[in-house]
Amino acid sequence: MTKNKNVIEVEGKVVECLRSAMFTVELENGHRVLAHISGKIRKNYIKIMLEDRVLVELPPYDLTRGRIVFRYRN
Amino acid sequence: MNTKPFTSGPSDNAVTITRVADRQWHALEDDLVVGRGYAEHRPDGRLFVSIDAWHDATFDRLAEVMLAELPAPLHTVVDEADAELTAGWRRAGFTVRRREWEYAVPTDPRVTGLAAVRPPSGVTIVPAGQVDEGLLRAVDRAIRDEVEATVGWRSMPAEVIRRPEGDTIVDPSKYAVAAAPDRYLGLIRVVTVNRPRIGLVAVRAGEQRRGIARALLAHALGTLHRSGFSAAWAEVHESNQAASALLKGIGARPVSSNLELVR
Repeated sequence: MTKNKNVIEVEGKVVECLRSAMFTVELENGHRVLAHISGKIRKNYIKIMLEDRVLVELPPYDLTRGRIVFRYRN
Repeated sequence: MNTKPFTSGPSDNAVTITRVADRQWHALEDDLVVGRGYAEHRPDGRLFVSIDAWHDATFDRLAEVMLAELPAPLHTVVDEADAELTAGWRRAGFTVRRREWEYAVPTDPRVTGLAAVRPPSGVTIVPAGQVDEGLLRAVDRAIRDEVEATVGWRSMPAEVIRRPEGDTIVDPSKYAVAAAPDRYLGLIRVVTVNRPRIGLVAVRAGEQRRGIARALLAHALGTLHRSGFSAAWAEVHESNQAASALLKGIGARPVSSNLELVR
């Protein structure tokens, strides 16, 4: 887990692709969050799919949600 | 650095919008980053924006500040299934400019029916990595000029890879081509980062309707299948019926859609 400018970022794996452009991501600690794709990823046409390793940013006041800010190369 | 306070979000604390770089904005609440905005020029010169915020009010305030500080027109891209984000941009005055379907394209010849497809007489397929760069650039320029003279590339899928001025071939090794003895007639570009994406299939105007695009697809998909990939991705503008028919005819299925919004 990293903290950058008070932003919590955690690595995880996409375990479920949901409707409404949402994903269930299992974090390194086993915790699962409901995540959407960041605008920068969407803007660059990067596809997120099942089992992708991703970096998730968590909001400071709700650790059940997340935002996928980076997709790692396999 | 511009700093503009307002009150919103989960508490009554003031959220401050700050332009932290030329094309980057932060929404701060209690010294926490609760929203971000970005602007970025595409190679074709269009300015694209994006906003990530945890609350609608923060999104709206970031949009208000960014739109006031950036020149029009502004563009953005959203997944059509993301109703919340789409609604946010609509509140900011954005309207739909184009819709692009994302297709999952099978590679297995038993599914695509492309096993027996061959290029037309006098045409050969040159695999990626064996293409003559000079002839490749010539066919690329010719096709782009033909498109520019008709519908124009601005209505085509946006390319995101930054490239030197005027150069549209970033990596020649990603292209396979259909070749006549004296020149290239068409090309296909496949880039694989985690999974393959068909970025471009194009044939010279005078050589269309001969089955060249289908032969290029048969070659590229067959190569991917032999490399262990079961599917590739492709994006098609909703008005491009020829491309949609070509993909659907080989078993591709639309899996999502992107909206390009403009204000």
